[in-house]
Amino acid sequence: MMSNIILESRSLTRRFGGLVAVNDVSFAVHEHEIFGLIGPNGAGKTTLFNLITGLISPSDGKLVYKGAEISQKKPHEIAELGIARTFQNIRLFGELSALENVIIGRHLHTKSGIFTGVFGIPPAPQEEIESKQKALELLELVGLQERAYESAKNFPYGDQRRLEIARALALEPEILLLDEPAAGMNPNEKQQLSDFIKQIRNTFNLTIILIEHHVPLVMGLCSRIAVLNFGQLIALDKPNIVRNNPAVIEAYLGNE
Amino acid sequence: MADFFNTYGSLIVSMVLGALLGLSLYLPLMAGQLSLASPGFYALGGYIAAILSTTVFKRDGGFPVYLLLLEMVIAGVVSGLLGVVVGIPALRLRGIYLAIATIAFVEVLRVLALNLDITGGAVGIFNIPQPFSSQIEYLWVGLPLLVVTMVLIYRLERVRVGKALIAIREDELAAGSMGINPTYYKVLAFTLGSILAGVVGAISAHFLNTWNARQGTFDASIIYLTFVLIGGSRTFLGSVVGAMVFTALPEVLRGLADTGGLPVWLAQFLRDGRLIIFGVLIVVGTIFFPQGLVTPRIFGRKKG
Repeated sequence: MMSNIILESRSLTRRFGGLVAVNDVSFAVHEHEIFGLIGPNGAGKTTLFNLITGLISPSDGKLVYKGAEISQKKPHEIAELGIARTFQNIRLFGELSALENVIIGRHLHTKSGIFTGVFGIPPAPQEEIESKQKALELLELVGLQERAYESAKNFPYGDQRRLEIARALALEPEILLLDEPAAGMNPNEKQQLSDFIKQIRNTFNLTIILIEHHVPLVMGLCSRIAVLNFGQLIALDKPNIVRNNPAVIEAYLGNE
Repeated sequence: MADFFNTYGSLIVSMVLGALLGLSLYLPLMAGQLSLASPGFYALGGYIAAILSTTVFKRDGGFPVYLLLLEMVIAGVVSGLLGVVVGIPALRLRGIYLAIATIAFVEVLRVLALNLDITGGAVGIFNIPQPFSSQIEYLWVGLPLLVVTMVLIYRLERVRVGKALIAIREDELAAGSMGINPTYYKVLAFTLGSILAGVVGAISAHFLNTWNARQGTFDASIIYLTFVLIGGSRTFLGSVVGAMVFTALPEVLRGLADTGGLPVWLAQFLRDGRLIIFGVLIVVGTIFFPQGLVTPRIFGRKKG
């Protein structure tokens, strides 16, 4: 490939008791790529995301980010290294306003401690103002600036997904993991989301890894697609090649 | 006015100290951690003040206020250090398991106090010197401490560190994915609560004149928890209001019982049945006001 590898999975395996949720999966994601991850329900896609973001640790194998192993790191350390994510089942801070949600995403880019913060010792107040400014810009980017002060839990589903993306972008990540970002959206919204993902990839120079069930969206958006089935990687290639792969067709449609 | 303070001075100071103890429980709750360790640090702070003022700081004649303030600082520092030591392992536990572990911690301190010579064993320490000539004057120390604590917590909830705590309360897993180190912030919140409880203990030891192993027990844990649960655990005002109301309530009931003209059984019930009334209030309160009586919604939030 033309570009550098940013994230690599080497024989990654995760067992839950007798179940092998991710089984010997190896792939490499290139910088600035939109990398699709598809597969039937229970194929291990979200488990793979949880492994990458440190929520669970691998039973075997390695994850390598920019040349360094990250397999045993904790979620907050992974975030610090520049990997941000959204969640399939949306995990916003529901009681807090949209703005506060995004400001919390700025945690790593602000430094004030308890004393400087509480007593307003410079540069803490300036930092808080900048955080709020940056957060408002991100809310504007996802079209939620009008509702910045509303509780996140009162947002419609699609808006919550957008807010989660804004919060993840607040981390200024290098890799953004999107777990079913189009779930619950109508076809029109899905098209907008597709354009939006391309836009943020270019604006923020991101690498994006995307789990998605909606096949047209994945096909149109991703440069390469990995297909998981029962925890195993059964295909990894450009969309039009994956689409005609017999193993993929079988996994999705059955072999009858 | 003088009459009023003579009658209610002790109660008013108790309400202020109660509010501070409620806040010491509220601080770890800001990060979603249900800790019942406050009475342990309260007892510790009290013993520090009691021992120091009856030995090293012993003065002929009056006990100067600056020594009380010094004791408060020492109690805060020692409680804070112990808070870190206890918090790091204890906060690996979640929810009810953390609550149980902190109850165990309170029990360990109580049994220690009961059996050590330095704490006066079962008898405890008495004749703790008085820096003030009347009980109401403890407000000179208690009230500024309460106001300053409330202002600091108000500030904390609006800055980066406080938002990290609240993020952990709302969703620890998502907070971790935002780069927030949950362990660090949970221990921080727990330690802040420990410091506050220790400082209040130091004041209380002087205020109550005696200090023994009956201070800061499991019963006290439950009473402080009532302050916060019924008052409201989502804003520090809830803890303050809850603590003040629940500290005053037994006295109000007693006062009601003493007003003439009540049937004997009712007066008796108001005087002796206050634990029953407390219990009923806790049950009814948690059913109808699961977030407590004072919620952020009351103030119409617009925060950034």
